[in-house]
Amino acid sequence: MASTAAKVGSGRNKTFMAILIPVLVLFCAFNTFPLLTGFFYSFTDSKGYGAFNIIGIQNYLDLFSDARVLNSYLFTFKVAVVATLATNIISLMLAIGLSSKIKFKSALRGIYFVPRILGALVVGYVFSYFFTYIVPAITGSESILASTEWAWVAIVIVVVWQACAQTTIIYITGLSSVPEDVYEAGSLDGAVGWDKFRYITFPLIMPSVTTNMVLVMKDMLMVFDQIVAMTSGGPAQSTESISYLIYNNGLSGGQFGYQCANAVIFFILIAVVSILQTKFLNSKEEQL
Amino acid sequence: MAGLSLEHVGKKYPNGYEGVKDFNLEIADKEFIIFVGPSGCGKSTTLRMIAGLEDITSGTLKIDGKVVNDVEPKDRDIAMVFQNYALYPHMTVYENMAFPLRLRKVEQSEIDKIVREAARILDLEKLLDRKPSALSGGQRQRVAMGRAIARQPKVFLMDEPLSNLDAKLRVQMRAEISKLHDRLGATIIYVTHDQTEAMTLGTRIVVMKDGVMQQVDTPSKLYSEPCNLFVAGFIGSPQMNFIDATVGEAAGKITLTFGSNTVTVPDSKAAALKPYVGKVVIAGIRPEDVVEEHEYAEGKTLSEKIDATVTVYELLGSEAMIYGDVDGGQISAHISATNPVRTGDAIKVAFDVDKLHVFDKDTELAIVH
Repeated sequence: MASTAAKVGSGRNKTFMAILIPVLVLFCAFNTFPLLTGFFYSFTDSKGYGAFNIIGIQNYLDLFSDARVLNSYLFTFKVAVVATLATNIISLMLAIGLSSKIKFKSALRGIYFVPRILGALVVGYVFSYFFTYIVPAITGSESILASTEWAWVAIVIVVVWQACAQTTIIYITGLSSVPEDVYEAGSLDGAVGWDKFRYITFPLIMPSVTTNMVLVMKDMLMVFDQIVAMTSGGPAQSTESISYLIYNNGLSGGQFGYQCANAVIFFILIAVVSILQTKFLNSKEEQL
Repeated sequence: MAGLSLEHVGKKYPNGYEGVKDFNLEIADKEFIIFVGPSGCGKSTTLRMIAGLEDITSGTLKIDGKVVNDVEPKDRDIAMVFQNYALYPHMTVYENMAFPLRLRKVEQSEIDKIVREAARILDLEKLLDRKPSALSGGQRQRVAMGRAIARQPKVFLMDEPLSNLDAKLRVQMRAEISKLHDRLGATIIYVTHDQTEAMTLGTRIVVMKDGVMQQVDTPSKLYSEPCNLFVAGFIGSPQMNFIDATVGEAAGKITLTFGSNTVTVPDSKAAALKPYVGKVVIAGIRPEDVVEEHEYAEGKTLSEKIDATVTVYELLGSEAMIYGDVDGGQISAHISATNPVRTGDAIKVAFDVDKLHVFDKDTELAIVH
């Protein structure tokens, strides 16, 4: 009996390994290896081509005194924080609406999901046209994309519009997991309207809030496509996100080693933000 | 506490299905009313209409003489204990019980007093800081009860509150609820499909079937005088024996004949059966009123002997059940555990005819008890 079980177990292990190893090789080749290579180049003065020298932590030291890099961090975090909050608030409102007893609920859920299936570049170009030609034609003012003060708002509008689709779906799933009889008990106890949301709904969908806050924050910190399509970091580098700066200056600006160091710092920051968010929000979650 | 009045209350769904039809009931203050019936009979729907969780599509519901059809659930001054307890999972036991009071802006000191008193009544004092996920089924059930008590409502509604508990705990909690009713002097409306719960708890029982109220009466009356075949079959476990029998008249006596067996009906029941002479009716007799010949006793009016063959013998402890075939039907009987009868035995039984029920075969209504 024992030897039969061992044979079955060993056969299964072989199957699992046959599935796992090719994926592991691909993952290491296209993810881990480039990551380690990038980490190595962050200690060099590589321009992305030709010879390079190892310069220790000089790139890291220079990053902290580079005004352009600091501005890109400020811009990215401003967009990320505002867009994460806006996305979550709007998505939660949409999810509550789309979870209520309304007509055409399924059709509306489908429509609200459309932005998710559109490419970010396509959306960026459409909104670029919208902000450059349509809005000024209606309001008679100059394009918001031309303003160093307000262009970031246009970026926020676009990223929020697109991010709401998936976030709303996650909130709808969260709302559907709240037992109906808890709401019924609440309605008898007097929890209606805002009280119902504040004391029952919100605490019980905290797992969805955690997921959405972390995912959206991470996506927003990595904002790239919309910048490429709408502003190319302008005007006057006012909408230059970290990802855009790394890409632009790293690959075509002769700062490959320097921007690799920037990417390492950025990676650590995103990881720290995500871990802190998860830890904080997990502590607010409840077991249903 | 308060009384309730349901006048011609009905529930019709948008697809045309009628969940509850013309429900009329007066519930007195401090009464313990049970709604009982099989799944889908409309008992929970009726309870939910009283709670305000379902719209009433016809008729009038009054609480304390005031029409409340369009009053919000929170303003009906009722508390409900749900089948799945419906506790707030993110709140502690204390917060669960205090929550309705907080929403009503009751002073914190008063809330504390009420919650601790409810916890004391239900022996929850040591669990006040725990969350529902850290409680057993029985403890959660008590917290749900405590939340209802803390509300100090006019009416308590309970929707199959014991159905998720194991058999032992159910018996224990049944006794607790009974004590609670005595202690609080509360008006309680209790829904169950378990007729034992209904019989042991209720001051009156409402038996429902297919959205229609069948009979409202005290447990003992419901057991001894069921108004129709459904109630007779639903109340009592094991259920009443039903046998198709032809009503006859011989030598001035009314008889019931099934197969080769004839049972003479006592004079007290004969008059009601006279119009049925020559017709087929349904005779009903409870298992404890079928007497096996080893157990014939004085004081019972027994029928003629009926031959039976035992097909199943079930020992229940102090007593046993036998199921057997008789000419013209099947029958079950309670016997003593010391009775030597076993499966396969040919036996003789007799009916305690004073306890005989007869039902009209067409209308299924009781003709005589």
